[in-house]
Amino acid sequence: MLLERLEASRLELLGRLSYTAGDLAQRARRRLTSQQKTQLMVLTPDFTARPVISFQHVWKRYPTGTEALRDVNLVVPEGDFVFLVGPSGAGKSTLVRLLIREEKPTKGKIFVEGVELGRMKRRQLPFYRRKVGLVFQDFKLLPNLTIYENVAFALRVHGQPDAFIRTRVAEALDTVGLSGKELTYPANLSGGEQQRVAIARALVHAPSMIIADEPTGNLDPATAWEIMQLFMRINARGATVVMATHNREIVDLLRRRVVAIDAGQIARDDRSGRYHDDSSKPQIRAQ
Amino acid sequence: MTILRNLRFALNSAWQSFWRNLAVSLAAVVSITLILILAGVNLLVGHAFSQVLDGFREKVSEMSINVADDTPLTSVYAFQQQLQGDPRVATVRFVTKEEALAEFVRDPNNAVLSQQIQGNPLDAKLEVRVRSLSDVAAVDSMARQWPGVDPTDPTNYQGEFVTRMLQLSQWLGFAGIGLMTILVIVSIVIVMNTIRTAVYHRRKEIEVMKLVGATEWFVRGPFVLEGIMTGVIAAAIALSLLVIAYPPVVSRFSADITFIPLTYDPTFISSLARDLLVGGALLGALGSYIGVRRFVRL
Repeated sequence: MLLERLEASRLELLGRLSYTAGDLAQRARRRLTSQQKTQLMVLTPDFTARPVISFQHVWKRYPTGTEALRDVNLVVPEGDFVFLVGPSGAGKSTLVRLLIREEKPTKGKIFVEGVELGRMKRRQLPFYRRKVGLVFQDFKLLPNLTIYENVAFALRVHGQPDAFIRTRVAEALDTVGLSGKELTYPANLSGGEQQRVAIARALVHAPSMIIADEPTGNLDPATAWEIMQLFMRINARGATVVMATHNREIVDLLRRRVVAIDAGQIARDDRSGRYHDDSSKPQIRAQ
Repeated sequence: MTILRNLRFALNSAWQSFWRNLAVSLAAVVSITLILILAGVNLLVGHAFSQVLDGFREKVSEMSINVADDTPLTSVYAFQQQLQGDPRVATVRFVTKEEALAEFVRDPNNAVLSQQIQGNPLDAKLEVRVRSLSDVAAVDSMARQWPGVDPTDPTNYQGEFVTRMLQLSQWLGFAGIGLMTILVIVSIVIVMNTIRTAVYHRRKEIEVMKLVGATEWFVRGPFVLEGIMTGVIAAAIALSLLVIAYPPVVSRFSADITFIPLTYDPTFISSLARDLLVGGALLGALGSYIGVRRFVRL
């Protein structure tokens, strides 16, 4: 049943790819070799691509004494789709916070597109964040702004001109399937629609990397699945996606790269993994 | 271009924030207005005092050296020449006994006394105007050594009065500076807390701004502008109240206390306007900068 749905959505995804235009897709296509394109079509990550994210012996200890990450090594190639899984408190969120430089590592180095985050000046940080799209479990939409203004917000913050903002927002809302809802307020949308708005905001500046922290955590399974398809489509256009999630069903269905974190360490890194280890070793069920 | 767009964004945000928290904004405007009125009154009183002091200074920089009746005129002229050559002296005028008497009689305050005068008891005198008040004492001691001076009543000048006035004006200056300092601190604290309220209302927006890559100044801008707005509005209100109240108050004072040479000075209004408006804007900017500092750090 679910496999059929997956297959159907995959076909739909490939169908859409051929006509979904937009800056991001063009940029991605220009960069990709034909071999990489073929690999994208069958939705498998290309491990030979240049690494965009690289954790080198990263340790993180909070001032409270909690050791959140211990000697984490992780390389994410361009265009990859990575699920970060693991029980609450394992260090997933810390990893995400390090990646968006809300925190600095205590030891070790994190490189994103060749820049070491720990050495980045505070002045440069905004410009780094502009290369990244962020999606959160609680959407983080501004309730007093319309859908259009919520999506436009990122570009306004970057100081972009109005005409540019109009086209980009229209494209982004089209991508997430919310064209026509521009003048609605977030409170009048369902949870799934609100998350779509958040994704549109994360996409609107054509980032090369999307970081999502449990984006389906507040959504019912069907809606979660729709949102996940959206991420797959964004990934297929060339953006690297790193997603922390607790959604076992989806992780098991998609069979993408799974990085399991446990007690601050990488317990497992499978190219097409499941939420839980395949071995008979007993696991604590997260759901 | 980007700067203009960012400025427009900041202005919109500041304007919206001001009206959204109208109660808090108005409370801040009223408080800052009161403070600026106090500051303005302080400036005006200071100005009036220096006006008065200038008037006194004019009077007390003059001293008279009384000439003994038996001094030969040549000796007087020689001393007058000597004084005129002194760099501390501005002008010297010789007043004969007859002229002194005429002046004395002319003064309406001496009406009763002048009728009882027999002969001419007044001395001839040299009226000396010094360039700087602090030189009066030195010129005085020089005059006392001159043999032609009247030994019973050598010189006249209001030295004691001068030093008292100078001291008083100095103390008043210190008090003014102290008062101003307190007013500045209080108004910065008021703006700080107002902006904290605005920050609290918009903490979610600030969070999202930082996550999508806003620079620290982009986040700070709207709040600093809101602070400047508060300060300038308050300054404008305070200024108009002061400008309305200044002339009638001055005329009341100068009517009641005639010996103080207080006059309405319209040229001071423009300098007062500049001080209050610039001061209000600076106070607002500084208060909001401090108030928002902790929340904009990336």
